[in-house]
Amino acid sequence: CSSLAGIMLLEVFLVLGTLLIYFLFFKKNEETLPFKDGWWGRGQKPVTKEDSSIRPFKVETAEEELSDLFRRLDQARFTEPLENSCFHYGTNSVHLRKVVSYWKNQFNWKKQVEVLNKYPQFKTKIQGIDIHFVHVKPPRLPEGQAAKPLLMVHGWPGSFYEFYKIIPLLTDPASHGLGDEHIFEVICPSIPGYGFSEAPHKKDFNSVSAASVFYELMLRLGFNEFYTQGGDCGWLICTNLAQIAPSHVKGLHLNMVLVSKLGLSHLLSVLLGRYFPGLFGFQDEDVRRMFPFLKKWLYRILSEFGYAHIQTTKPDTVGCGLNDSPVGLAAYILEKFSSWTDMEFQNLEDGGLERKFSLDDLLTNIMIYWVSGCIVSSMRFYKENLQKGIGTQKHEKLTVQVPTGIAAFPNEILHIPQAWAKKKYTNIISFHFMPRGGHFAAFEEPELLAKDILQFVDKVEKEQLWKKK
Amino acid sequence: ESIMSQIRPFDYSQKNAVLVPAAALGVGGLLLYWLRSGRKIKTLDMGDGWWGAGERPPKGKVDKDTSIRPFKIETSDKEIEDLHQRLDRFRFTPHVEGAAFHYGFNSTYLKKVVAYWRNQFDWRKQVEVLNKYPHFHTTIEGIDIHFIHVKPSYVPHGQAVRPLLMVHGWPGSFYEFYKIIPLLTEPAKHGLNEGGVVFEVICPSIPGYGFSEAPHQKEFDSIATARVFHKLMNRLGFKEYYLQGGDWGSRITTNMAQMLPQSVKGLHLNLVFIATEGLGRVISTMLGAYVPWLVGFSREDARRLYPFMQKNIYDVLRESGYLHIQATKPDTAGCGLNDSPVGLAAYIMEKFSTWTDKSFLHKDDGGLESKYSLDELLTNVMIYWVTSSIVSSMRYYKENFAKDPRIHNRVAVYVPTGIAAFPQEIVHVPRVWAKDVYKNIITYTYMPRGGHFAAFEEPKLLAQDIMQFVRKVEQL
Repeated sequence: CSSLAGIMLLEVFLVLGTLLIYFLFFKKNEETLPFKDGWWGRGQKPVTKEDSSIRPFKVETAEEELSDLFRRLDQARFTEPLENSCFHYGTNSVHLRKVVSYWKNQFNWKKQVEVLNKYPQFKTKIQGIDIHFVHVKPPRLPEGQAAKPLLMVHGWPGSFYEFYKIIPLLTDPASHGLGDEHIFEVICPSIPGYGFSEAPHKKDFNSVSAASVFYELMLRLGFNEFYTQGGDCGWLICTNLAQIAPSHVKGLHLNMVLVSKLGLSHLLSVLLGRYFPGLFGFQDEDVRRMFPFLKKWLYRILSEFGYAHIQTTKPDTVGCGLNDSPVGLAAYILEKFSSWTDMEFQNLEDGGLERKFSLDDLLTNIMIYWVSGCIVSSMRFYKENLQKGIGTQKHEKLTVQVPTGIAAFPNEILHIPQAWAKKKYTNIISFHFMPRGGHFAAFEEPELLAKDILQFVDKVEKEQLWKKK
Repeated sequence: ESIMSQIRPFDYSQKNAVLVPAAALGVGGLLLYWLRSGRKIKTLDMGDGWWGAGERPPKGKVDKDTSIRPFKIETSDKEIEDLHQRLDRFRFTPHVEGAAFHYGFNSTYLKKVVAYWRNQFDWRKQVEVLNKYPHFHTTIEGIDIHFIHVKPSYVPHGQAVRPLLMVHGWPGSFYEFYKIIPLLTEPAKHGLNEGGVVFEVICPSIPGYGFSEAPHQKEFDSIATARVFHKLMNRLGFKEYYLQGGDWGSRITTNMAQMLPQSVKGLHLNLVFIATEGLGRVISTMLGAYVPWLVGFSREDARRLYPFMQKNIYDVLRESGYLHIQATKPDTAGCGLNDSPVGLAAYIMEKFSTWTDKSFLHKDDGGLESKYSLDELLTNVMIYWVTSSIVSSMRYYKENFAKDPRIHNRVAVYVPTGIAAFPQEIVHVPRVWAKDVYKNIITYTYMPRGGHFAAFEEPKLLAQDIMQFVRKVEQL
């Protein structure tokens, strides 16, 4: 439908236009976001008190699970790609066949399950659903030092597994040459509807709901003050958590930022920022990453956000086949690990997939979606957050005052300059242009990310000490 | 020049020295523009193409084989066995409470559909149904084009038979026309012969859909399709013919009319693509809500267009996710659907629900069986399944949106056009907007009921509208 193509472009302008109107009513809003209580279990909420025990959990697998998977892989029906299309039409099926062959013949799921189980995992019921999380404490602590709790939240199509390489750098930094001033105990939950966390049975489970659930989790684990870190959906959930409980969140570290309150100043900075960067608070690197605007913003949104559009509107439809075809699931998820790591990878026949990740790592993440059957519920999160419209929700209008650190990776899908971020995050104490890396920062560049988190926490702690004096 | 000579006797003040040439330029310019636009009957360039695998053969060898080969759809135990196995091992996800069809295809209802598909749907019988009309293959521009060609079994003496090319869309197929074909080839039998118009119907499959081979090269768009279908009609011996289409079929038949107007006796559409852009359009949209007559809207136009934001922006945004992903990442979007028949069915049948009636979103069963039988719906899905054509069908979106969509609207359509505007169509285009492109609208009918899949859902209404349109054209 060509009129619908015009509508696609209209989509982006509509968002900008709507928000222009909100800008007119913008006031600096320092309210806190109310905690969102809910009941997400099946049927009616029972009158008895909820079981709040924390139960150890281990990922398990069975022969049947594997033989079912192999049968589906064996019987996969592929479609030949167009000549010379590389990854421009999506995941290239010639390369996908190679991945499937590895998956069948070399990938060892039992071994990967042992890898997953190397960190202690637990489940606990909150607001009616089982929440899965990894909880890793430091192996050793110097005399008199306490471990700092750090909540790290994944996104889509990732999982808690994305943090497996960065966890040791944060719980045992000394062994990795990162000093021992700040040592963390890390908690990585699975967002409800993702991986081993139960999916909500009711409508309206959005980022504020997830933030409220994770807030309850941290309190239940006995933490009164903690740090949070996130990218993708994790960015939004951690931001909401900082808005709900600013007195509990010591610091908020993000490897991705988006802003939805766009106004006249944003429009002007888009039109003129390339020529007068200083006027709009842009640094040279901001300009390099944001312009040419059409290519790096408009066309990118149009070409890369189809998945978000369909997941926001028809998650149960699009996820249906993916929960039935592991190859389809792999194609869908791998495409993101290709283009969101580096947009140039679309020009490669293999999508550049193994340049930054091992097939074992990529397939382990996919297997988490496959064995838990969570792809549909993971997609619903988009609808619950976005279908009412971008810029319409309360949390989007509130600012964040907790100390914030932003690690801006060069191959992130969209670059938000500090000048824009600081309108929402009013207390940015560190903002760094990272030298390399894309969207899946913890997975791809764990050391760079760990270093940035450490220097951020260092700044926060020193400021606090100074304030106490 | 004559204007200038009349002005000269007046006072030659400074002001006039500027105003006069300016006025002359203005009038002269307008005159020139008017003269040029009157002569601006452009046609769409035909071009040429090669869509086969590998390198393009030398010019003389392309399409040397012009044979038209009869074709019968076949199936096998193996094919049915494989389908059943996949249906049996489908992994189902429970929906949230109260979802109806708001999150997409309702998985509880999907379970019922799968049970029917597994236990009652008889594919061998449906193949016989599909084979009741004669099928053919012929090679054009390097790929095999599938089509059905149905002639009236009995033609009264002296009555002419009009060739009619009907083109389907996505996620439909040639099968959508199976109920309307007899109404067009033998109207008298169905109580429809007011005026003696009888057709022989040709329904091709768009390359990449169903039993037509998929292009192996990039850039196979609606213009290439239009050219291929012109060549098809030519090969069948037709010099002049009627065209009918909805969805992609509307775009393709419009391109055909823009490309070779002399071959198109009449163009009938049940969907109109119009780019809603331009300041004039925005103003007429805003005014139209209050003074519809001022901007050329009828009361029915106003009823169908407004509230504008709701019906044309929000509804379209809600329904166009598939379009967005297919126009950008078709190979990703289609991959799982070619491997999971249930996934394929959910994806396709969701459209047959919402695009038939928007209120079906609120129903737990998507209202599907109130307008169609499961046999019909599943037969259409099976065409995508047994031919493994879902991915290539989706690529069509990318190939068509890669270029500037406004090209199509810059070339006007002068062939006699008939438009059947169905009330539940995704977007309503009033006659006054359609006239921007379609300069020769002979009939424009507000249909009383029906949605996007007009031929499938309301074959009799559509057939009647096609026939009254053709009758008017023949009287011209």
